[in-house]
Amino acid sequence: MTKTTRSGRRTTAPRDKTRGLEYESSATDMSVISNRLDGIVREMENTLLRAGRSAVLNMARDFSCSIITGDNRLLATAEGLPVHVIGGERLGQVMTRLHDDIREGDAFLHNDPYEGNTHAADHTLMVPVFVDGEHMFTTLAKAHQADIGNSQPTTYMPFAKDVYEEGALIFTASRVQRDFKDNEDIIRMCRSRIRVPNQWYGDYLAMVGAARIGERGLKQLCDRYGKKTVKTFIDDWFNYSERLMSESIGSMKAGTASGTGTHDPVGDLAPDGVTINVSVTVDPAEGRIDVDLRNNIDCVDGGINESETCAVNNAMTGVLNCMDAAIPRNEGSFRCVEVHLRDNCIVGRPSFPHSTSVATTNIGERLVMTTQRIIAEHWPGEGMAEGSSGLGPGFAVISGRDTRGPEPVDYVNQIFLGSQGGPGMPGNDGWVTFGNSVTNGLMLRDSVEVDEQKYPIHVAELKIRPDSGGAGEWRGAPGATLIYGPSHEEMTAYYVTDGNQNPPRGVGGGKDAAPSEPYLIAADGTEQPAVLIGHVTLHKGELLGHRLSGGGGYGNPHIRPADLVRHDVLAGFVSREAALKTYGVALIGSRLDDTLKIDYEETKRLRSGQEESS
Amino acid sequence: MNNPTNESDHPSMYRISVDTGGTFTDVVVVDAENNVYMSKALTSLDRAYSAIEEGLGRIAKTMGTSVESIVREAIEINYGTTRSTNLVVTGKTARTALFTTRGFPDVLLLKEGGKPGPFHRLRYRDPLIPRYLTFEIDERVTSNGTVSSVLDEKSVIEAINSARDSGVEAVAVSFLWSVANPSHELQVGELLAQHMPGVPVTLSHQVNPSIREYRRASAAAIDASLKPAMQDFFFGLDEDLHSVGFTGSLLISTSYGGGWDAQRIAGMPVYSIGSGPSMAPVAALQEAEIDSATSTDRSTILVTDMGGTTFDLSVIQNGRVERTSETWLGGQWVGDITGTRSVDVESIGAGGGSIVWIDPGGLLQVGPQSAGSAPGPACYGQGGMNPTITDAAIILGYLDSSNFVGGTLELHEDLARKALAPVAEKLGMSLEAAADAAMHISVDNIITAIRAKTVSKGIDLRGITLVAGGGASGITVGRIAKELNVGEVILPKAAGAMSAYGALHADVISEYEVVTHDTTARPDFRLSMDRLSELEQRCTEFFTSLDTLSVDGSTTSVEYSVQARYPMQAWEMTIPLGSLQFASSLDATAIEELFHSEHLRIFGVREHTSRVEILAIGARAAVSTGRAAHSATFIDTETNSRSLETRPTFFGSAGWIETNIFSSADVVSQGWVDGPAIVREETTTIIVNPGQRLEARPSSNYLLHTDTKETQDHDKNDQIGA
Repeated sequence: MTKTTRSGRRTTAPRDKTRGLEYESSATDMSVISNRLDGIVREMENTLLRAGRSAVLNMARDFSCSIITGDNRLLATAEGLPVHVIGGERLGQVMTRLHDDIREGDAFLHNDPYEGNTHAADHTLMVPVFVDGEHMFTTLAKAHQADIGNSQPTTYMPFAKDVYEEGALIFTASRVQRDFKDNEDIIRMCRSRIRVPNQWYGDYLAMVGAARIGERGLKQLCDRYGKKTVKTFIDDWFNYSERLMSESIGSMKAGTASGTGTHDPVGDLAPDGVTINVSVTVDPAEGRIDVDLRNNIDCVDGGINESETCAVNNAMTGVLNCMDAAIPRNEGSFRCVEVHLRDNCIVGRPSFPHSTSVATTNIGERLVMTTQRIIAEHWPGEGMAEGSSGLGPGFAVISGRDTRGPEPVDYVNQIFLGSQGGPGMPGNDGWVTFGNSVTNGLMLRDSVEVDEQKYPIHVAELKIRPDSGGAGEWRGAPGATLIYGPSHEEMTAYYVTDGNQNPPRGVGGGKDAAPSEPYLIAADGTEQPAVLIGHVTLHKGELLGHRLSGGGGYGNPHIRPADLVRHDVLAGFVSREAALKTYGVALIGSRLDDTLKIDYEETKRLRSGQEESS
Repeated sequence: MNNPTNESDHPSMYRISVDTGGTFTDVVVVDAENNVYMSKALTSLDRAYSAIEEGLGRIAKTMGTSVESIVREAIEINYGTTRSTNLVVTGKTARTALFTTRGFPDVLLLKEGGKPGPFHRLRYRDPLIPRYLTFEIDERVTSNGTVSSVLDEKSVIEAINSARDSGVEAVAVSFLWSVANPSHELQVGELLAQHMPGVPVTLSHQVNPSIREYRRASAAAIDASLKPAMQDFFFGLDEDLHSVGFTGSLLISTSYGGGWDAQRIAGMPVYSIGSGPSMAPVAALQEAEIDSATSTDRSTILVTDMGGTTFDLSVIQNGRVERTSETWLGGQWVGDITGTRSVDVESIGAGGGSIVWIDPGGLLQVGPQSAGSAPGPACYGQGGMNPTITDAAIILGYLDSSNFVGGTLELHEDLARKALAPVAEKLGMSLEAAADAAMHISVDNIITAIRAKTVSKGIDLRGITLVAGGGASGITVGRIAKELNVGEVILPKAAGAMSAYGALHADVISEYEVVTHDTTARPDFRLSMDRLSELEQRCTEFFTSLDTLSVDGSTTSVEYSVQARYPMQAWEMTIPLGSLQFASSLDATAIEELFHSEHLRIFGVREHTSRVEILAIGARAAVSTGRAAHSATFIDTETNSRSLETRPTFFGSAGWIETNIFSSADVVSQGWVDGPAIVREETTTIIVNPGQRLEARPSSNYLLHTDTKETQDHDKNDQIGA
């Protein structure tokens, strides 16, 4: 067994809060340059978002931008998707290892999951930034593509036996621009193999634009403040970030806790589901957290294995979900967290040629959910319950033929009509439009009208599913119910549900969320369950339904303030029956409007003896 | 120019403009000789007229006349207000019901998803209209306008009865695809009129005829919920003015950056959101036309408006004020979208009241929290304990009491110093160094916001013109200009009342849109003549409705546009097409070329092989009032010419410098002043940094000339020893 290290060497961070900052940079430089770096990342994000073409980029916001230093340390990530931005430095390492002639005007395309990338569907564009001839930074723009030339028209292939069956075009830090001009060989390879070449090229241009905007911003920054000041700042900034993180960890109790989380059955690949073991050790004296993933099964012959980067990132996300959002996420703060992996492990370093097609979601989400829940279980007041997971029919890749125009046109794209709930946590109920456990609420939702216009589909229903969020002192957010189907010719939907057999779990007395349930409605209105992972083909008149799950609850529902429970009932989140049975809150009144009153006496009686916080 | 020229017995026709903010009401009066008078008053919450009366009072005194005679002799009153915005943000709108298509009752809750950051812990906000006042109606229309499920009148009547029983005061109706076929919404509108007479109703396809059900439902919900209060408010104002003897026209500023008569805005009050700030870019454009060396048809103008709590930012490109369909109240994604087109004004929490603090990691931070106007900055002496940017400005010697809010508010330097002292001590800095650092960081927050708004759109800041307005901008504009290295900086004389001043020169504007689903891939493509004619007719009706307005010498114009995108693109862009004649002459290649060029301009990419999808056709009808500000003369309401004073003032690495204080009259008579200098204006103070020059223009505006070398020396020396 070996372990992945995050070069845990600690520098001397001042611990005395009452004293001034012991940094070489001035107070103004620290504040201004850090602010400016995040600003540059946001400028990159805006450029990518505004010019990007595919729905998965625009709507799911399945993209991110970041800046690493010339010597490959993660510097700035702004508010990017955690699963993407952590580990940007690994991509930079591959670029500098493979190329000894890097110069201004270069750009590199990378999507190799065996060389630091998340999964093959995330194309990453890297631009080395030179200041006075020195390679000072690398800007990264990463975006999930609509298609990457896989053997099937989807970027999520849970049943791909290996990378050959997955079939993606792979680039390992390939130089795609020299002297600011495209290498047409690579562009042609992509255009001839990717199913939606214009969409890919549009997204490629958007990534180049974003990385170049970042390049320009960084050059201006160095021009303004001087290279030396910026370099000094970088070291100070890492120390500052490390100090914030280690102080935050320093307030937790020492100890080690282990637990498991289980992904639903994945066809014949994992008929009993996949159970993940996570062990978390908190060392407040040293200000560090260790997450051990080594006690897990070997890689499976399917696309659900984690890539190395996803294994680290998703465990890290689980930890970061428990930390103050104000702590900058960079090399410095990440020195305080170490994730231990082993070779050929489903949540470790995969052995070639295992496929990691769905590494960013599913098992990856289970890592996030399980890590944050274990922290919540063993460190009261910290962590959070489990959020919802998986990309079921509410987020399916749909395809078919659109016959509404003068000429029939084939379509294939991912829709984002569903809504899944986020986990309860100390002080906050779950986020309603949470998406799933790797997008953390950043995901945008499609407009019903826009989707009905773009594709020949009909949406019959989209509403909150009552009692789907786990009950708790801090309630898990509810999911939605979505029903849709083809409006003209047949439609096929590919999706990967999770949380049906193992719905998101509550914590500390909080209840589990309702399971995620895909189903079919035949033309005569009869309903039957749909396959959990796979695809379905529907004809006009048939409908695909999805009762999406909510998030798990945090803490004993009997101590949730009764007026909040009443509010949940009026919002349609919680049924009156559940208010009575699960929350112990009795309500008076026949109308479900603000004339509804709390029966305090009955509530007190129902709750007596049940109010201990567990 | 400090002596009023008109006599009270001189028959005069005034134009009045009033902008009511959360704290202050700005009043501007222009007389027949184009003399401009400005003043500020505290905003009154009861009736709008009380603040107008107070603001006019000071002007009347200067003019030697009475408030009543100014109002009586006014041909026009422009009125802007943040009232509707405040009603929505504070949740004080009417009890409103939403009627939606069955199966979609949570449209206002689910919105469009999204969250400001992955790790921020936030409370998910309640929808604008609670679920228990949302009623699902049996009906459905498809994307091509076909009725797939006929409206069930019974479900409507049941909903109306329940809404009535729940004491609903207004109703919003928003059905899926009502823009493709409005018949169901219209039918429900009739049933509501019949069964709930007197209760205001908004139909989504009328208030916001665009696709995306959330945006249309939100616009309808906001509009309906504002109707009871805003109708009372506007009619009340109209009534008060008439009772004083006002016979001119009352124009309310809209989010479009143009005026509407009171009747029209009361019918669609959602368009009064952003009513005040939308006028600042209008004023800026006007002033840039006078004083910019570059023609505004070819330039990019950055408009800033810095007040007590916020810094507002907007952009004018090639003479066109940038607009948006994404105005969120309460924050992007998490608040409520107005859904309607409006001037794109971005607000960031960086004003004079922004609080200076140290974060848990020991880093100096400024804002976004603000001390507001109550308790306000520590130096106000109203109990505020937190140090703010205004306090820092006092410590640095930038501000004094003599002209702050017209000299009505005394500023206490000792309190400012006391408030900032703990911050300076923690940083191990002198008080003035800490104040300077805070000022620098505040400016940098502004710079970052400006960059966010411009850089990703491909705007090169070096070539732009900056027009800086707002009462607090004079202390930061010099630093902003240096940092951005902008080409040209204009400080309008009307800086302290930009929005009110802008409204005086605004057009009367209305916009219309029809939804279509077309593509240039269609053989013999041309824009639908039916749609264009429909728009033309609506614009004509709009012009006809303005007959009562006294807009002498005005000209009308209509500009057409399309909402278009490349196939499968998530968001569409507005492509201006000019006149009806031009728009109808365009074939596929011509429209595609216009789209490619605009896409290249905004995103830096053109896909010349791609076709273009047309999602909507729009028309903007404008009545130009043709009121040039070229010959305006600004009259100070109090004389502020004083003997030359000096004051020690802190300028970063240059340290303390005994600095001259000038009045505006001094600058005018000298033609310019070189920094370091302080110029006391009536409503603001301008800091001229060392190496900068403030030039007085014949227009009464100033030009600020910067020397960028100085900036870098300053900051590279700004290191604080450990």
